[in-house]
Amino acid sequence: MRVACGVLLMVMAGTALPHVRAQAPPPSGEVPDLAGIWDGGTRVRPVNSVTIPWGKANFPELNERALAYMKVFDEATSPKYDCQPSTPPAIEYDPYMMEIVQWPDRVLLRYEKDDQLRTVWLDGRRPTVHDFGIQGFAVGRYESNALIVETDHFVFDITGFDDYNGIPSSQQKRVIERYWRDGNDLRATITVEDPMFLRKPASYSTRWAPAPKGTKLAAFDCDPESARAMVKFLVPRYK
Amino acid sequence: MNVQRWLAVLAAVLAIGLLKSVVPVGAHHASTAFYDATKKVEAEGPVTKFLFKNPHAFLYFNAADEKGETVEWQIELGAPLNLSRTGWTPDTLKPGMVIKVAGQPSKAEGSHGICCATITRPDGSPIVAGGRVREEAPK
Repeated sequence: MRVACGVLLMVMAGTALPHVRAQAPPPSGEVPDLAGIWDGGTRVRPVNSVTIPWGKANFPELNERALAYMKVFDEATSPKYDCQPSTPPAIEYDPYMMEIVQWPDRVLLRYEKDDQLRTVWLDGRRPTVHDFGIQGFAVGRYESNALIVETDHFVFDITGFDDYNGIPSSQQKRVIERYWRDGNDLRATITVEDPMFLRKPASYSTRWAPAPKGTKLAAFDCDPESARAMVKFLVPRYK
Repeated sequence: MNVQRWLAVLAAVLAIGLLKSVVPVGAHHASTAFYDATKKVEAEGPVTKFLFKNPHAFLYFNAADEKGETVEWQIELGAPLNLSRTGWTPDTLKPGMVIKVAGQPSKAEGSHGICCATITRPDGSPIVAGGRVREEAPK
């Protein structure tokens, strides 16, 4: 009966029964304390733009397919004007709050922007061939006082690289994130590879500061009217 | 310089500092595709609507266009999520309230949009306590 209740609870919690394997407890001190609400806003780092965080020094080497996509890209077709959220490697640099929750079998990354939640599984599970999603499927581990997150199984996204350059990302996109503490700050290096569009992996590093005391994540509730209200100011790409 | 004069100077310095405060930006898109940073537009008129929704707040007001005809202008602001943390509320700008605006005009022909705006009362005084009257461009 107890086992049945446990199985029922796991099913209700959406936990896939096969493949589950709790991560072996790491040696003491190896798990960094990343938990809390982190501020990635304007008081902490420059706001994202066409050249931030992808500037001259680290702009990805695009293949011909990506360049052709960029050439015909029409900003008005960007899914963000229909409230579609940004995805790695862009979402990490959006100038909003982010919350990290560390549980034994998973890490939750909650983004205030677009109300997004990414679950990083630490229990050894792997995605099946069906586990594609807009935020992909993320697995992680602790290593040398850092959290390593590997995310793949993203769906195709016509602006899946960043919000500004019109570079798409494919189902082959893979994002590797490394998070660690630097004093009071949270730091991360984000690396993206996507052989469909990039000649080689590209990466940037960034930081968050602790959110002011008492800060709570607020609901974003993206509004379709607001999300699209500026599109009429674009000079039409195609008439 | 006596104490009162020192205080007056200090108050003026603080006021100027606050007036230059920039409301947090909710970056969502590149402003250069929508607005012309090389041009400036100024207008004054009554608020008609204040859309206080994410990802961007929008302020609408009636004022003369370049031909002198009254049209409805649309000002793009930052994300309410961030604006609300600096004192803005859905009631900050009520319909009928007269405002003075200076900013970058929108690019599309015949459109009346403004970005990266400085918004004040007609006499130039701030709208929100603390002088947070300037909105920065979504980059």
